[in-house]
Amino acid sequence: MKRIHLILASAFLLLAVQSVSVYAVCNQSSASTADTNLWNTHGCWQAFFLWSYKAYDQRSGDWNSRGWNDACNVNLEFPKHWNAAYLVTYGLLDNNSQSFHGTADYRATGEAAGSNFHSSLYHLASDDSCCFGSFTPTVFGPNELRTMCLLYSTSSANANPASRAGDFMHEGWHGWLRKGNWNNGSCGGHRCGPTGSCTASGCDYFYFHGIGAYAFGALWQTDGTANRFHSPNQVQVEFLCDVADQSKGWVPNSVRLAGKADADQRAVARFINGPGYKCGDPRPW
Amino acid sequence: MQPRITTKRLALFAAFLAVAGIFIGAGITVRSQKEDPSSQAPTGPAPSRVLATKDRKIPVIATGGTDVKATVLRFIDFAGNAGGDQKEEIRRSLEGLRQNSAAIEVMCEEAFSAQRSDHSRALLILSLLGEARSADGAKCLARFMKLPFPKTGTTVDGEIVEQTALGTLQAKAIDGLAYLRGKETNAIVLDAIKSHPSIIVRAEAIEAYLWNNRDNEADARRAVSGVVRRGEEIYLDRVRRDTGESAQSFNQKLEAFLRKHPEAVGAKPEPDKDTQRPKDERPGRLPAPPKF
Repeated sequence: MKRIHLILASAFLLLAVQSVSVYAVCNQSSASTADTNLWNTHGCWQAFFLWSYKAYDQRSGDWNSRGWNDACNVNLEFPKHWNAAYLVTYGLLDNNSQSFHGTADYRATGEAAGSNFHSSLYHLASDDSCCFGSFTPTVFGPNELRTMCLLYSTSSANANPASRAGDFMHEGWHGWLRKGNWNNGSCGGHRCGPTGSCTASGCDYFYFHGIGAYAFGALWQTDGTANRFHSPNQVQVEFLCDVADQSKGWVPNSVRLAGKADADQRAVARFINGPGYKCGDPRPW
Repeated sequence: MQPRITTKRLALFAAFLAVAGIFIGAGITVRSQKEDPSSQAPTGPAPSRVLATKDRKIPVIATGGTDVKATVLRFIDFAGNAGGDQKEEIRRSLEGLRQNSAAIEVMCEEAFSAQRSDHSRALLILSLLGEARSADGAKCLARFMKLPFPKTGTTVDGEIVEQTALGTLQAKAIDGLAYLRGKETNAIVLDAIKSHPSIIVRAEAIEAYLWNNRDNEADARRAVSGVVRRGEEIYLDRVRRDTGESAQSFNQKLEAFLRKHPEAVGAKPEPDKDTQRPKDERPGRLPAPPKF
């Protein structure tokens, strides 16, 4: 009997330790200028967050302590998540002769619904400080897409709606790779780095394509060669670049600038085969 | 040797199953919760109504006295909130700021103060300072370039995030310095191409130098070629999508780039041989979002 008690106590202790230790907690006391500026364009729009939590398959149990019941408090993770979703849903121009891809592509990549882009997804937040986000395939139910504190805590450079939504694209694209049965490398779904021009530990190839090469809604297509293919970092860069200079006139300048800075830094640090596209001209404003 | 099944072992196994059951059950319960999110604060109307009443008047910045700081802060807030459709108006306002040393000084202080606490605010202010094209602004941006580049910090995906954060801000400072096209500021830009520890800054410095001196392209390329690091020459030919550029023009540039740099073509994608393709599920329908 003593042994049973010991096993039970050990099991509880192990689970308790796993659930509470090592992780930092996201800073919930403020929002970045870019988050606040985008927020000011809607001032907290209930109809949207009542839609977006379903579109992104978010569940109260995961977001309870992150603003699920305080959805108009921009300092918390759930409101910041839907602020980024709002940017994806309404913010892009969809300019046939200038945008890399369209809203239909970016929505289908980030949102939960299963489609040609990926099997169904499920959005969670995490206090883990390992990464910006993660994609975890599951045996049963939707695959998990986690966004982490570096996308939420104000002092982090990526705590802005453009970078957060950019991460939806990046992680969502891992779902595309999985659905299509593509091997993009063994370092978290990337080629191990640093290698070539890539200075990070997880590296991709940039598969250059012209404007108009993909009709809007056709980003998922590939011919299985380097001529028609995308990597996660590439989809992220193209999205960020579209936010930077192919967004609607009302999208705040602070959000565009953040998108451009993230696109530019990612384009020179994450690709094996040299830099990706440069996003817009280098005029300061 | 076959293990003997004793009552004690069965009890141990049952206890293990019970504990596992509790935790799996709890997990399923949490995931299956479908309660709607709610708000403690009043919610707003549709954005189209919010935007229709937005104040589009650019705040005037005082040229002296105690109002300078307050008016500069108002201007910064306005510029960040304003949409891209007011970009040109804000550029014109910044022209009027060129001789306003007091205002530039406030902006400079604000940029330094936001550097660690609010990256997007620091980025915004550095952009405004650069666009103002003032001598005082140049001094501030040059000082910003001297901020020590961190050697240690939080490592994520093999990069130190503090380095990336400062790198993107210093890249923005470089944009402002290159935009001035002065002898001293050009020297800072060329020095960054040669010796800045971050590729983010070196790449931006190459781009900014070439773009700002595009009226004398051959000389500009010669100047950059003289300082660029070995292995980074490809940055001189990088494909840029200019704002407002047509698809035809962009695509021609891209073709020329790939002809000159066949090494920039990505490797053939590899099918995953080890894992089974996940079973195809019936595509879900993307729900329609509410009307903007």
